[in-house]
Amino acid sequence: MSLIIYRKNTMAAQLYKTESGRLFHAGKIAIITVGLPARGKTHISRSLCRYLRWLGVPTKVFSVGNYRRKAMGTAGKLPQNFFDFGNQEAAQSRRKIAKECLMDMISWLEAGGQVGIFDASNTTEERRKEIYNILISEDIHPVFIESMCDKQDIIEANIRSVKITSPDYIGWDREAAVKDYWKRINNHLGHYQTIADTSLSFVKMINVGERIIVNNVKGYLQSRIVFYLMNLHISPRIIYFAQTGETLNEKVQKADAELSPDGIRYANYLKNFLLNLREKEKKQRIEEGWGDEDERTLTIWTSARRRSYQTAKPFEDEGYIIEQRTSMAELNLGIVDGLTVDEIKARFPEEYERQQQDLYHHRYPRAESYHDLAVRLESIILELEHEKNDVLIIAHETVLKCLYAYLFDQPEDEIPRNIIPKNYLIEIIPSAYGCRETRMEIEYTMNQTWTLFWDTSVCYFEPNKAFLRVGDF
Amino acid sequence: MNSNTRIACVMVGLPARGKTYIAQKVCRYLQWLSVSTKVFNVGNYRRKLHGAHQMHSFFDPHNTEGEIARKEAALEALKDMIKWFLEEDGTVAIFDATNSTRERRCMIIDYCKKYDVQVMFIESICQDESLILQNIMDVKLSSPDYKDMDPEKAAEDFRARISHYEEAYETLNEMKNESDYTYAKLINVGSQVMINMIQGYLQSRIVYYLMNLHILPRNIFFSRHGESVYNLEGKIGGDSKLSPRGRKYALALPELIKANLGDQPLTVWTSTLKRTIETAKHLQYPKLQWKALDELDAGVCDGMTYEEIEAKYPEDYFNRDEDKFNYRYRGGESYRDVVYRLEPVIMELERQQNILIIGHQAILRCIYGYFQKLSQDDLPYVKIPLHTVIKLTPKAYTCQEERYKIDIDAVDTHRPKPKRPTDVSN
Repeated sequence: MSLIIYRKNTMAAQLYKTESGRLFHAGKIAIITVGLPARGKTHISRSLCRYLRWLGVPTKVFSVGNYRRKAMGTAGKLPQNFFDFGNQEAAQSRRKIAKECLMDMISWLEAGGQVGIFDASNTTEERRKEIYNILISEDIHPVFIESMCDKQDIIEANIRSVKITSPDYIGWDREAAVKDYWKRINNHLGHYQTIADTSLSFVKMINVGERIIVNNVKGYLQSRIVFYLMNLHISPRIIYFAQTGETLNEKVQKADAELSPDGIRYANYLKNFLLNLREKEKKQRIEEGWGDEDERTLTIWTSARRRSYQTAKPFEDEGYIIEQRTSMAELNLGIVDGLTVDEIKARFPEEYERQQQDLYHHRYPRAESYHDLAVRLESIILELEHEKNDVLIIAHETVLKCLYAYLFDQPEDEIPRNIIPKNYLIEIIPSAYGCRETRMEIEYTMNQTWTLFWDTSVCYFEPNKAFLRVGDF
Repeated sequence: MNSNTRIACVMVGLPARGKTYIAQKVCRYLQWLSVSTKVFNVGNYRRKLHGAHQMHSFFDPHNTEGEIARKEAALEALKDMIKWFLEEDGTVAIFDATNSTRERRCMIIDYCKKYDVQVMFIESICQDESLILQNIMDVKLSSPDYKDMDPEKAAEDFRARISHYEEAYETLNEMKNESDYTYAKLINVGSQVMINMIQGYLQSRIVYYLMNLHILPRNIFFSRHGESVYNLEGKIGGDSKLSPRGRKYALALPELIKANLGDQPLTVWTSTLKRTIETAKHLQYPKLQWKALDELDAGVCDGMTYEEIEAKYPEDYFNRDEDKFNYRYRGGESYRDVVYRLEPVIMELERQQNILIIGHQAILRCIYGYFQKLSQDDLPYVKIPLHTVIKLTPKAYTCQEERYKIDIDAVDTHRPKPKRPTDVSN
């Protein structure tokens, strides 16, 4: 069954599990989203799912929209008045589809899942009561998450960036799609009832990230969910990853060495490359009519290591803000710091063998494992969720591997194997359905021309390095 | 976390709403997580500046003199707070006072802005009269303000003081120019929480913790498992069974708990290891096993005696006593690791009422250290003897502690902090 495969692929587990695979005694939890269309429900569902999976909690999103599309086809194929509340026949089939989705979620929870996220509008008191009763009878704790928005421009932006690119509107004219979507929202408006029953466990999010009301939410995992939601926002932004430049002492981590002349050169090229790219993308956005003429702010995050903040130095010289974060330091190598792979094999043959068996969990004496690093990065992950500016993260490859895995919802054993090539800029654009990435080589030749090329499956190796870099793990 | 972050948590609320309790708890929680944190209690400044025995008229909003005096105390505390941020590189300050007017809050925001300190208000609203009354009896009447005063008179005066505050009290209000403020409003301690404009990880972490707090009276009991076979053999770690004396302890435990708790409800938590489950065997209460309560993992040293460790890994043995909190066994854990892994346990412990934890030496040291505010230096050495029940009752400033020894012999597994003859610095 699919469940078994799922368990093998649990995420960078930060927490401790019971034998059932569920966390402690938190039992089964159902998150039920509530809200009008285009209030970021899907974005919230997907992001929360990713975070909980990162914590090692078996989590899955059950999207009624997907069930509907599978059963009825995309928006263009639907009858004109499918989303009308008055249309009894359509209401009947919408109910049936929602019920099927809910039942699938319940079966999944019964089979060992812990948090099921039921992504639908659930805008009436009656509908919520019905779901509540079904869940309670199955011994599942329901928590409602209502997303509200009183700012028209946020809704409009959400429609333009998410909704009309959804499978419903493939091949539609842009403006026609927007219009159709507004119609769908307006159909709901008259029937929408905000959650008023204070006996329910619920979270109301107003303008995602601005204000949150938490009512009667009990339990460890539930409060942890709110902890995450406090940092979530759905405004568009871009995240960039770049490795640090080469140092004068690549061999010993503890040396915390300065950048080499080559490293300094790389730092300058990185700066020029990124600023050029942003200029280009801004022009493109304006041409496409995104109305985004304001300068988007760029913030740069580095670790407190010299190589990291020195790589950011050219940005600082141009007036950009650099934030140093100590917890972004590279994976600590402990006693094998400064040793070549051959030296490690010779001096610690057993440890080496163990490391090869489990790249993610193994730690050398006095060292950190990737798991330790993933746990240490928790604050960075939440800060990253919180950040509204565009961010360039200049960090060591081990750190970027973990952050990348989080953003792309990867299982833990893939983390050490992630490839974050040197001299590349990785551009990541988070969206409701997941992240999109573009990898661009920063080709730094002396005549200062930058070539861009698009490559999603870069396989990059630095062969025959004489000594062990953390990234070789 | 950004290393430059400075946060002032500014309490808001009428007297006897558990502000000081919350302030102390948040402070302790953050310190336990190695975040440098300090509480600034304006009441202490007021007492220092204007004496302790002020009657309720001092707090009357129409008493201009009192008003000026109280503002002066608040300013003194603010100044010290900023000084602490700048000179001692503090991260989170907790400004404990009523701060019940918009004007006062505005003043604090303006003041902090100048020093690039983020302000987060924490308002406690309580509509449960009996809880308020209980708080008055428990905490307020033992405060320095009412020293040597007839309790009934004191309670009356305190209630008059509250009504002065009520007259001028303005709750945090997003409609009235406070919509940009960062705040967490706790209504009836955690049953509803309103959160506005959180500015980052650490602030959200504080609110997360606040959501789990309650101020109902309760007791937390700790006991190590009964003496185990490994204890007798001087070995660490493992998953051995109880010794005959350990089994005797398990038999004696229910009576002791019953004598202390009467018919009150209790939940027993154990680790997933045999020796704690066996110790809980005869207790007739609901029981839960926690993987997170398993003993500190000694890695390659698991199952060895200290002598064997010293012989086989002399360097490690020495390192451990150099910095026991941070020392991590090869392939195992350090106390610091355990603190992080216990986070869910601490959160759940804050949520629950009466709990008995049957645990292990290092684990109980960490949990005990959290409640009793031990430093990282002292925590790994605190004495948690076998065959002893420790009872903690949380109060506003500290936990009241009682220890009950059951008269069944057991080995002593405590190793004191070695004295270093080389330390010539003092």
